[in-house]
Amino acid sequence: MKKSSIIGIIIIAIAIGVIISTYADSSTYGNFSQAKETQSELHVVGHLDKGKEMIYNPKQDANYFAFYMTDDKGTECKVIFNGTKPQDFEKSEQIVLTGQMKGDEFHASKILMKCPSKYNKDQVEVKASPTT
Amino acid sequence: MDIQFAGEHLLPGKLGQFFVILSFGTALLAAISYYFFTIKDKSDNSWQTIARVSTWLNSISVIGIGASLFYIIYNHLFEYHYAWAHSSKALPVYYIVSCFWEGQEGSFWLWTFWQAVLANILIWKAKSWEGPVLTIVMISQAMLASMLIGVEILGTRVGSSPFILLRNALEAPIFSRPDYLTLIQDGNGLNPLLQNYWMVIHPPTLFLGFASMIVPFAYAIAGLWQRKYNEWLKPAMPYTLFAVMVLGTGIIMGSFWAYEALNFGGFWAWDPVENASIIPWLTLIAAVHVLIVYKNSGHSFFTAIFLVLISFVLVLYASFLTRSGVLGETSVHAFTDLGMYWHLVVDVALFAAIAIFFLVKRWKELPISKKDEETFSREFWMFIGALVLTVACVQIIATTSIPVFNAIFKTKVAPPSNPVEHYNKWQVPFAIVIALLSGFTQFLKYKNTDVKKVLKSLTVSIVISLLVAALFVWITKIANVILVLLIITSLFAVVSNGKVLVDSLKGKWKLAGSAVAHIGFGLILLGALIAAATNKVITVNSNGSIPVAGFEKDNKPGENLMLYQDSTVKINRYSVTYLSDTTVGPNTFYKVNYKAVDDKTGKVKEDFNLYPNAQQNPKMGLVASPDTKHYLTYDIYTHVSSVPVITENTDEHSHESHSDDENYLDPLTKQVNIGDTVRYREGFILVKAVNRNAKIQNIPIANGDLAVSMTLEVHTKNKVFTTEPVYLLKSGNEFDFGKTIEEAGLKLRFTHILPEKNKLELMVYQKKPAEKKWIVMKAIMFPYINLFWGGTIIMVIGFLLSIFRRIRENKITTVKAS
Repeated sequence: MKKSSIIGIIIIAIAIGVIISTYADSSTYGNFSQAKETQSELHVVGHLDKGKEMIYNPKQDANYFAFYMTDDKGTECKVIFNGTKPQDFEKSEQIVLTGQMKGDEFHASKILMKCPSKYNKDQVEVKASPTT
Repeated sequence: MDIQFAGEHLLPGKLGQFFVILSFGTALLAAISYYFFTIKDKSDNSWQTIARVSTWLNSISVIGIGASLFYIIYNHLFEYHYAWAHSSKALPVYYIVSCFWEGQEGSFWLWTFWQAVLANILIWKAKSWEGPVLTIVMISQAMLASMLIGVEILGTRVGSSPFILLRNALEAPIFSRPDYLTLIQDGNGLNPLLQNYWMVIHPPTLFLGFASMIVPFAYAIAGLWQRKYNEWLKPAMPYTLFAVMVLGTGIIMGSFWAYEALNFGGFWAWDPVENASIIPWLTLIAAVHVLIVYKNSGHSFFTAIFLVLISFVLVLYASFLTRSGVLGETSVHAFTDLGMYWHLVVDVALFAAIAIFFLVKRWKELPISKKDEETFSREFWMFIGALVLTVACVQIIATTSIPVFNAIFKTKVAPPSNPVEHYNKWQVPFAIVIALLSGFTQFLKYKNTDVKKVLKSLTVSIVISLLVAALFVWITKIANVILVLLIITSLFAVVSNGKVLVDSLKGKWKLAGSAVAHIGFGLILLGALIAAATNKVITVNSNGSIPVAGFEKDNKPGENLMLYQDSTVKINRYSVTYLSDTTVGPNTFYKVNYKAVDDKTGKVKEDFNLYPNAQQNPKMGLVASPDTKHYLTYDIYTHVSSVPVITENTDEHSHESHSDDENYLDPLTKQVNIGDTVRYREGFILVKAVNRNAKIQNIPIANGDLAVSMTLEVHTKNKVFTTEPVYLLKSGNEFDFGKTIEEAGLKLRFTHILPEKNKLELMVYQKKPAEKKWIVMKAIMFPYINLFWGGTIIMVIGFLLSIFRRIRENKITTVKAS
């Protein structure tokens, strides 16, 4: 057998190992009730509960931001984020959290928010219109 | 239905759309005629003439598209969706260029523009390869042009035209008004993050890189098609190196932009969009190495051609990933779908099919070597290096493609929750192997090498790199074994290639280019590793915060720090003070002073100001850009993460009592007489006199009316002000005319006369103390990041030297052949 063929086989084996490991590292999308049952980090998709308060008081602690989010299943949970409040958080349409449950609170390590950006929500802003 | 809309400029759009259609038609015609030119008898030049003319026409129409689009954006013709969505009137002219490629259509245009330029170069230079190579290039050009058509064919819209009118792109009631344009005053503006000089040059460079990858692909196909399995290599080589060089530069420019203008705190985040561009780059680098192996030893033909072919298919795959919307919520940077999902899939599939078709058709004829390579030959280890690069690529593709697999298999797998850790875990070991190979393979010879001799000449390099590595480890305090190994091997790559470079100066000039490129590569690895592994958030919240119960314990301390104006906070060895802010246009710059003082002597060692800025964009929220102090061995990187929201200024000149009173604290009401003293928070007021015959401008004083003024002396902050509020009793009604002293932040009203007590009522209004200004900021120290940028420049120089070498070799062989 040629040496390069042997190496080829080894390389393919490593490649397969790599792909399997990718899935070992991959996370899952879930909801708050699933987060309660697991110890590992997961992604939770939901939206901000705009009726409830959002706590960010940089004068007290610049790295504490808390809010309430409702997940896809309609469960609501308090979320705590160790960082600053993203500006315009109120306007977010959808939030993807990465983190895990600690007691009754979800501790997020990453917040990704989808805003009604100009790319996907083409709302014409009419400035001088007499009707508005 | 037909409304006559007022004020629209339809000509530039119609012209632009005409050029779009023309560019598609001419590209298609050129591809077809080049095909017939290739398969027909060479004595007949008519196909070639048609092909060339249509290629030239294609270039002209591509320029026409660009010119029309530029005209529309430059003249703020907001009746066009593209201008409305991506520009605004306030934008400086040089950023209008960036508006061009903020949208997908503009970046497609950029791609097709570069491809047109390359097509012209190929007509000029490709000689006997012109037919087959340009057939492939023009097929790609036609595919790109089809992305811009934006015309409905059989009920589905094909492509997305940049010349679509706003009223056709959107549905809104105002578009039923003939004068709707008068209501649209301004466009949406350019994303503030793209308002950066790097964004003017990074996309053109990146797309030149992407575009030039068609050339090696086209040569490889041409080689298979024409059965010239060996000959295509030489002319393709300079283009391949050029593509690698330009794409690499483009990627690192993007990373520099991210570092300078974005606030994610780093130069590489393993974002899917970044990955999408680095994947084809890595495979093409692997391809370059295997091409050289094949050229010098006759081994590994299939691997070489496969890597060249897959690289371009991966470029198209990258454009599918970033433009189809398939990445969804896994990336914040990707474009959203413009309805071209399947169009992009077809693009990838078409070129993959072309590649597979020719490989299968010529499979039996391929010059696949049956011999075994020598273990101690240069070709063998170059081949291994290329394979390791490919496997590294497979890892990146696998993770980046999770959303694609989700789309295919209808699964819901989320990407790793800590992507940086995930990628580094794999990529660092791969980098170690590659650095090692790129150091030691340079000493090997093709065919076979005397191992002892090699080891001898390597000893010096090994010793030097171990010593330097020890120094680096000692300074940076990196203790992780894997990372230490990477430091050693990347230094080894630098040192041993340094030796090759020195030798090349003594006459073996051929290797100079590759030596320089590998030195650059080693430095990139070293710089990236050290900066990424040892960068340190220095604004760690150790004091000044009230810990929230149960929260700080199991989390890392916060990385953001609150700074009040003028109060100093100790960060690392710096005393940091937020001094002031200035608003220039839409941006607010926060002046932050860093001062380092020697503890013993009290001498100021460092003193500099940084101006991180933030734009409170009404459409995009807070967009913060960092400012960085660059030292030779480290950077201090600072950005604001939260600032007080700037509220729309209320009219400052409204002194109507009602709205005005909101600016004051609850008033003090005092009953006074002449000679009395009224104390308030910031001073005292003396009642000096009372004037019973006060006059009020414009108000006649009739009999029975009473106008009285009170002369007051205000003492505050070592200053004295005199003022006279007036009390008026007119027709039995009480009025008063208060006086404000802006400088003292006071308003004084003389509101009543109390005859029974022989007192006068004085109301003292004090301005609310101005809210103390604050910012929340984050500062990161990046050590040795200049190795990363410097390594890039060195690598590019190395590629340039190699390109010149290959071009020169080609010339020499053509001279010999003729």
